[in-house]
Amino acid sequence: MAEENIVCIGCPLGCRTTLRIDRHGDVVKITGYKCKEGRQYVLEEYRNPVRILTATIRTERSLRPLLPVRTNRPILKSKLKEATLTLVRVKAEPPIKVGQVILPNLLNSGVDVVATDDLFE
Amino acid sequence: MKLSDIDVAVIGSGPAGMAAAIRAREEGAEHVLILERQEQLGGLLHQCVHNGFGLFYFEQDLTGPEYSHRFVEKVKDLGIQVLLETMVTQISSDRQITAVNNREGVLRLKPKSIVLAMGCRERSRGQLNVPGTRPAGIFTAGTAQRFVNVEGWIPGKKVVILGSGDIGMIMASRLTLEGVEVKAVVEILPYIGGLTRNEVQCLHDFHIPLLLEHTVTEIHGPQRLEAVTMAKVNKDKKPTNGTERRIECDTLLLSVGLIPENELSRMAGVALDPLTGGPVVDQWRETNVSGIFAGGNVVHVHDLVDDVSWEAEIAGASAARFARKEEMGKDKKILKPGRNIRYIVPQTISAQHDVTLYARVKDIEENVTLKVGDIFSESLRVVKPGEMLKIDLSRSQLRQLKDDAVELSIESVRRRQNG
Amino acid sequence: MAQMETEILIIGGGVLGAAVARELSRYKGDVLLVEKEVDFGWGSTKTNMCIVCQGGDTLEFRPEYHRSKLVWDSIPLMEPLCQELDVPFKKVGELALIRNNEELSKFQKLKSRAEKLGLTGHQFIDQDSLRQMEPNITQEAIGALYDPNIAIVDPVRLTIGLIESASQNGVEVMRETEVLRISRQANQFQVETNRGSVKCRFIVNAAGISVDKIARLVNSDDFVLYPIRGYVGILDKNLGGLIKHEIHMRPDAPGQMNILTPSVHGNLFFGTTMQPALRGDCSATARIAEIGLQNVRKILPDLSEKEIIHSFAGFLMFRNWEIGWHECVVQASQKVPRFISICIGYPGVSAAPAASREVTELLRREGLRLEKNERFVSIRKAPPVFNELPEEQQKELVARDSRYGHVVCRCETVTEGEIVEAIRHGATTLDGIKFRTRAGMGRCQGGFCTPRVVKILARELGLSEEKITKKGRESRLLLYKSKELLEAQL
Repeated sequence: MAEENIVCIGCPLGCRTTLRIDRHGDVVKITGYKCKEGRQYVLEEYRNPVRILTATIRTERSLRPLLPVRTNRPILKSKLKEATLTLVRVKAEPPIKVGQVILPNLLNSGVDVVATDDLFE
Repeated sequence: MKLSDIDVAVIGSGPAGMAAAIRAREEGAEHVLILERQEQLGGLLHQCVHNGFGLFYFEQDLTGPEYSHRFVEKVKDLGIQVLLETMVTQISSDRQITAVNNREGVLRLKPKSIVLAMGCRERSRGQLNVPGTRPAGIFTAGTAQRFVNVEGWIPGKKVVILGSGDIGMIMASRLTLEGVEVKAVVEILPYIGGLTRNEVQCLHDFHIPLLLEHTVTEIHGPQRLEAVTMAKVNKDKKPTNGTERRIECDTLLLSVGLIPENELSRMAGVALDPLTGGPVVDQWRETNVSGIFAGGNVVHVHDLVDDVSWEAEIAGASAARFARKEEMGKDKKILKPGRNIRYIVPQTISAQHDVTLYARVKDIEENVTLKVGDIFSESLRVVKPGEMLKIDLSRSQLRQLKDDAVELSIESVRRRQNG
Repeated sequence: MAQMETEILIIGGGVLGAAVARELSRYKGDVLLVEKEVDFGWGSTKTNMCIVCQGGDTLEFRPEYHRSKLVWDSIPLMEPLCQELDVPFKKVGELALIRNNEELSKFQKLKSRAEKLGLTGHQFIDQDSLRQMEPNITQEAIGALYDPNIAIVDPVRLTIGLIESASQNGVEVMRETEVLRISRQANQFQVETNRGSVKCRFIVNAAGISVDKIARLVNSDDFVLYPIRGYVGILDKNLGGLIKHEIHMRPDAPGQMNILTPSVHGNLFFGTTMQPALRGDCSATARIAEIGLQNVRKILPDLSEKEIIHSFAGFLMFRNWEIGWHECVVQASQKVPRFISICIGYPGVSAAPAASREVTELLRREGLRLEKNERFVSIRKAPPVFNELPEEQQKELVARDSRYGHVVCRCETVTEGEIVEAIRHGATTLDGIKFRTRAGMGRCQGGFCTPRVVKILARELGLSEEKITKKGRESRLLLYKSKELLEAQL
C-alpha cells in the first residue's frame, strides 16, 4: 500500500489529504478532505495531474529580448520539465499577435504554445 | 493633442487604471485621460507571465499580459486619451496635476476629477533591517521578476526566497523553470503569506522546501552575496539561539509585503488609513478630497487582479459622475474593525445602496462566524490574512442599521458553544 | 603597465584627500590623486551623520586637541566652500537635549568653555521654548543647549565637488587604483599600484581606513589607529518634517552617540553606535541595530521600526580609542621626509577645509614650493538636479535634452538625463549613480529603478548588462542570461 499527499486548492482551507493507493495504482481511500468538491479535485489531481505551462521564449530583439508564452490547454505535470527544455530552442520572430501559435502540438500532446503578448518589432 | 477640459484623469494604467478609465468612459465621461509613467499600458501585468488572472472577471485563466491586452483593446476602442512615459510629480488638493515627460517637458493639468491608481511597491531589505553586509545579489521578488521575465537576465543560480507572499512563491517556480536552484522559501509565520494554490503549484510541484517559522538572520558576502544565515523563530517571531544554519546562495529574493504607493495622495492632502496604507474611501471610492477617487492596490493590497479591476471600476464610475456634478449618496456610516479584523475597505458606506465590503483578518482561525453588526452573519471554515474576504450587502440589509458605526468581526464558533 | 610621474601623490579620494587635492590645485605643480574604489567617498566619508560646523557641541572638543582646532577653524570656511562647489549646505542648528540637572551643569561648563574660545551663539533653551521649537520630540527633556551654527551637508557630494574642482584646476585623478608598495629613492618615492607605477616627490597619505597600512609601507607608522565601526539608520522622508534641528542626546553608554538629524535631502538620519570591529567588516549586527533603535526612540518615542528605509555600517579610524576620545593624525612623518599622513576619524568632514590648509602648510615645510596657480577657478558647477529646479528651467532642460523628461527613479524623481550626466562625470556602478543622483535612495530602495538604471549604464558605457556591478569589483548584479542555465541541461 502506498500513500500520496495532496493539498486541495479548491478553497482557502487548503485541506491536506492523504490517498491510499493499492498495488494496481487504484485509490483505495482518501482522508483529510472536508467537502465533496475537494474529494473530486484531489482524485482528479492524482489520476491526471495537469498544469498550464507559462514561460518566455527568446526573440533576439535587443529592445524586447523575451516573448511571454503559454500552453493553450493544460499538459501533464510530468511533462513540464521536458516542455521547458523544448522551448529553449524556439525563437520568436516578429510580427506576433496575442494568441498566435508559436509552437503547435507541444511534445505530441495536441496542445499548442501560443503568444500571450504582441511583438511588433 | 488636447489637454484641457479633462473630465477624468487616471493616474496609472495597470489593471486598476485601465478598468477605471474604461468604466468612466462607459459612464459617459467625454474626455478621459490616462497618465502612465512606463512606455506601455498595463503596469506590472507585463512582467507577470504566469496565469491565474481573470478567473472571475473573464471566467478564463489568463496570464498577466493577456489580461492586460483585453483592457488595452478596450482603451483603444473607446478613444481614451493616453499619455505614456509621463510621470505625475505632484497633485494639489484642488486637483491640479503636474507631470513630466520628454515631449512637453512639464505639464499642468486641471481635470474635473482624478482617479488614483498607482498600485503598490514592495517592502525592501532596508525596511526589514536584516543584519549583515550589503552585497549585490539581493532583490525584491518583483524586481527579480522584471529582470527574469522582461529584461532577459537571471540574477543568480542558487536562490533563497525570504517571505512566502504570492510574488515570492511565483518567482520560486519561474526561477526553477529557468534552471535555477531555489534552495528554500523562508517564512516567519506558521503559515504562508499568499494563496494555497501557489503553495501547491509553485512550491510542491517543484519540490522547493518551504520553511515555516524561520527567518534570515544574517547576510554574508562583501561584494556579491555568498550565504545567508537562517534560524527558527519562536512564538514572538524572534530567532531561537542554536537553530542557526548557514545556506550558501548567490541570490536572496525578498517577498515580505506590499505597500500601497501614496506619495501623490499625501501631497494632495488625501487622508490615509494606517491600517491599509491607502486612502480612506467611501463606497464610491472617493477620498476626503473632493473629486479625488482611488481604486485598486493603491487603496489596499488585493490578492486577485479581478478585484483590483472591479474596485477601480467603482472609482472610475464615481469620477465620471462627479465630473458631471452628479450627487452621490453621502450619509456615512463608519465601518469599525472588530475582533480579528485588520482592516475594512471602504471605511465608510452610505447604507442606502448595495455595497461589497473587503476585509482582511489579523490571524488565521478555523470554524468562525463573520459578522457585520446585526445585519449579516456567515459561517466560514477558515479565515487567513493572505486571503481577503468579500462581503456583499444589499440595500435592504443595510437599511436595518441604526447606529452611525457598524462593526465587522470574526467570532469563533467554538467559543460561543462553550460560552 | 603605465609609468607615471608627478610632484605630489595623494593616496585616497575621500573627503580629506579630495580637500587636499582641491587646496593644492590653487598652486602650480603636478598633483595626482589615486583612489582604490570605483568612486569617491565610499570609505569613512560616507559613514557619516552629515553634520558640520560643530565646535561646542560635545564636551570632547577640548582646546588641547588638534582635531578640535581643525573643526573650529573650518567653521567659517565650510559654507563658502559649499557655495563655490555648488553642493548642498543647510544651517539647521543643534539642540543638545538636557534631561536632568547633572546634564545641565555639564552643558553650562561646555557653554562657558566655548565662549572662552570665541565660539559664541550658544544659548540655553527652556522647556517651553524647546517644545515650541521641536513639538514632536520627547517631552522628557527639561531644556536644551542650542548651537545655531551647526549645519548639514552631503559628504559624498561634497567629496565629488572637491574632486571635480581639483580636476578642473589641473589635478589628475585615477580610480580603481590601489597602492601596493612604496620605495624611497634619493629625493623621491617610487610607488607601485595595480595600474602602474608613480614617481613622486611628496606623498599625502589620506587613505582613510588604510592610513596606517600605507604609512607602514614606508616604515612611517608613528601612530596607532583603531578601526571603529559605526552604524547609521535612515528614516523615510515622510518623517522629514518631524524635526527642524539636529537633535542630540548625551550617550548613555560609551560609543553610543545618539543623534537624530535632518539630511539635506529631506530624510532623517539617526545613529551612531560605534564599536571596535575587524577592519573591513562592514556588517551591521542585530544587536547594534537594536541599540540604535532604542536610542533614537529616546528622542522620538513613537518611532516605528517600519519607518527605517535603510541602514549601514562603515569604519572610522580613531587614534587613542582606549583612553576615551581620540586625537587625529595630521602630521609630517618623523622618519620619512615629504610624507604627510592625515586621518581625522570623527569629525572628518567637518575638519576637512582647515585640515587641507594645514596639509598644504606641512608640505611647504617639507620643501614644496607654493606658487599661485593664476588660472585657478574656484567655482565648480554641479550637474543639474531636475526636481530642485523651477518649472521654467525644467522645461528648458527637457527641450535641450529630452532625457531630462524621462523620470527613472520615481521615489526621488531622478531623470534619465541626470543619470547620463552622472555617468559622464565618472559613475560606472549602481551605487555610483545612487550617490551622485539619489536614484535608489528612496522609499523603495531601488526596487523600481534598478533594472532601468542598469540598462542606462550598459548603454552609456557600451557594456553588456551582466558586466554592470553594484559597487565595482565582484559585485555584479546579473549573473546569467535568460535560458543560459537551461541550455547547460540540454
